[in-house]
Amino acid sequence: MKVLLVDDERKFATMLAKRLALRGIDIDYVYTGEEAIVKAETQRYDVAILDVKMPGIGGIELERKLKELDPCLKTIFLTGHGSKTDFEAGSAEATCYLAKPIQIDELLTILREVAG
Amino acid sequence: MDSTIDFKNNDDLAFFGKVNASISHELKNILAIISEAAGLLNDLTDMASKGGNFEVEMIQTCSKDIVEEIQRGFATIKKMNTFSHSADDPLKRVNLVEVLDLMIHLARFLSFASKVRFDPPEEAAPIVLTCPWRLQNLIYQALVYGFESVGPDGEIQVSLHSQKDGSARITFSGLGKNSARRFPVDQTRQIAESINAEIGMTGDSHVLDILVPQYIESMR
Repeated sequence: MKVLLVDDERKFATMLAKRLALRGIDIDYVYTGEEAIVKAETQRYDVAILDVKMPGIGGIELERKLKELDPCLKTIFLTGHGSKTDFEAGSAEATCYLAKPIQIDELLTILREVAG
Repeated sequence: MDSTIDFKNNDDLAFFGKVNASISHELKNILAIISEAAGLLNDLTDMASKGGNFEVEMIQTCSKDIVEEIQRGFATIKKMNTFSHSADDPLKRVNLVEVLDLMIHLARFLSFASKVRFDPPEEAAPIVLTCPWRLQNLIYQALVYGFESVGPDGEIQVSLHSQKDGSARITFSGLGKNSARRFPVDQTRQIAESINAEIGMTGDSHVLDILVPQYIESMR
């Protein structure tokens, strides 16, 4: 499973990527939507983990752009905002969401479910 | 004179809600980093205890990140506390440099925030008697509009100048054309009028001014 993590909180992205890598996940991470698109143009990913609120291209818009490049891509959204209900109301497109702070085992379970 | 801010006023309540939401988002981000750092520390020590490499440098990085994020959290809570208590008094003498510092700091929590350059005046900071809450609302709205107008990669400049009559002029310059909405709207002007302040674009709409009187007798 090849995973792309996108989060503008640099420390968070770096550490979460390291923890997933220690658990055997093949992961790339970037800090902006623009960097994510560049990555996705040259590398195929099974799952993208996207922060919803980012400067520039936010997670929701980024999902749309990444799916234009690869319609098979699955996405998991990370959000620091509100409840599940709030989030679902904001995005009908969400494949799956996780509220920060996240539990690594929960994320792993969801990654495996989403990737099939 | 009213003894409290009327939070039944939708503008006051909406302002409180927006700022509160952005602060809670910031705190969640801080806790998320601390959580990941603690989790990674646990992973690394667990690996070492099972005979794996003891990654000293990574462990030091995690510890340093935890300390830094706790300090960031304390700083955020201090700003939140100052902001919350600014609603205590409907009229109060305020230092405009401190008010601008606070609102710029809080506005930076917004996901679409652009850079802000604020050069405080070299002369003594203007002190005005006003409704701190309403003034903060005006400044916050101006910053939000500024962010929208230049986009997240842009920068707006904020300056503050004392006027001869004791009033103060807050100027937001370097504004762009990205925002599709008109500003200031009637509601914003009404907030300004409630504290006898004036808000408006000057010249070619790249500059926004807020003129704050030296004192007001009461809030309208």
